[in-house]
Amino acid sequence: MENLHLFGVGIGLGLIVIGAGIGIGRLAASAAEGIARQPEASDKITAAVNLPLFLLEGVAILGEVFALLIVLMK
Amino acid sequence: MSTAAEQSHTAGGSVLDQVGENIIRHVSNSSLDHPLIQLPNIWGIDLSVSKHVLMLWIVAVLVACSVIIPIRKYLQQDKPQPKGWMNVIEAVVKFIRDSIVKPNIGPKFTDTWAPMILTFFFFILFANGIGLLPIFDILGAFNRFILDIPAAPPGVEDHNFINSLLHGGATVTGNFNVTAALAMITFFAIMVAGSRAHGFINHWKNLAPHGLAWPVYIILIPIEIIGMFVKPFALTMRLAANMTGGHIAILAILSFMAIFAEMFHSTMAGMGVALFSVPLAAAISGLEIIVVLVQTYVFTLLSAVFIGMAINVHH
Repeated sequence: MENLHLFGVGIGLGLIVIGAGIGIGRLAASAAEGIARQPEASDKITAAVNLPLFLLEGVAILGEVFALLIVLMK
Repeated sequence: MSTAAEQSHTAGGSVLDQVGENIIRHVSNSSLDHPLIQLPNIWGIDLSVSKHVLMLWIVAVLVACSVIIPIRKYLQQDKPQPKGWMNVIEAVVKFIRDSIVKPNIGPKFTDTWAPMILTFFFFILFANGIGLLPIFDILGAFNRFILDIPAAPPGVEDHNFINSLLHGGATVTGNFNVTAALAMITFFAIMVAGSRAHGFINHWKNLAPHGLAWPVYIILIPIEIIGMFVKPFALTMRLAANMTGGHIAILAILSFMAIFAEMFHSTMAGMGVALFSVPLAAAISGLEIIVVLVQTYVFTLLSAVFIGMAINVHH
């Protein structure tokens, strides 16, 4: 039973990847759609997509760091 | 399997036990009890030179030699005309100023904050990039095979300079303390930027939007104060975790060779796994090059965005 925390970390990492994957996927899909409809606005769309993408990535990375902390510190 | 594991335990721990420790030693700083160069405490601050401090110096010297000195020389000319390396620097500087600083901070304060953002960019770019070069591992091979100095057995502290450098090729920005220091600069830059644009008192008033019903402020003000600290915290974690994560992935995949060789008790198993893990590690190293560039861009972009948020208040 003393290794139960590893179980939680595994599930948690999976959830992080699912969440980040859905987020990045939706962003990329919408951006691609927008550029396909309006190719001349591609610069603006890319600029608008960048910031939320990085913030999202930051949240996912934070989750992974805390998962790692659970493993290292129990 | 169990008897084999027991046998190898008596011989100093199985490979599986060593792998995790080895990877952590690779990405973390050298232990504080045995730094590379022992220096005395001054005002309670340990000034000893550890692995990451040495890398920090190397990065500083490289940035000075390849960016600061050429620009100084260039500016001293009578009729400055960029050629060769200066063209590269100029293109990078122009990109940062025109597509990161100007759109986010605004034309009025571009010249005020562009130098700081550029300093961030060059320092982080060099620090991230050097982390990818396995220079210390090459030094270690030289030490081991040409100078014939063996590595200390596990549990014994190593006093050979190169051996204690080993498990290196360290990424300075993979250390949370370094990125925390960088994010602290952003944290104070946000305050300075807001104070210079709106005055000290108005900067703090600008944190929360004006003209709302008072019960909203009970929730809003704590959120804004937390947000103030979360911004640099997220910057710290993002850069350090990204730089550490890639290295851990590469090392874990390379460690498969040792793990499989032990699991099947044959060298051939390890060699067979090498056919799979070495190309994969090479591919991840290629991915790491992109990550290095993207994370440098992200840190500078987000710093510019946060400073711009204090200057161009929307509400």
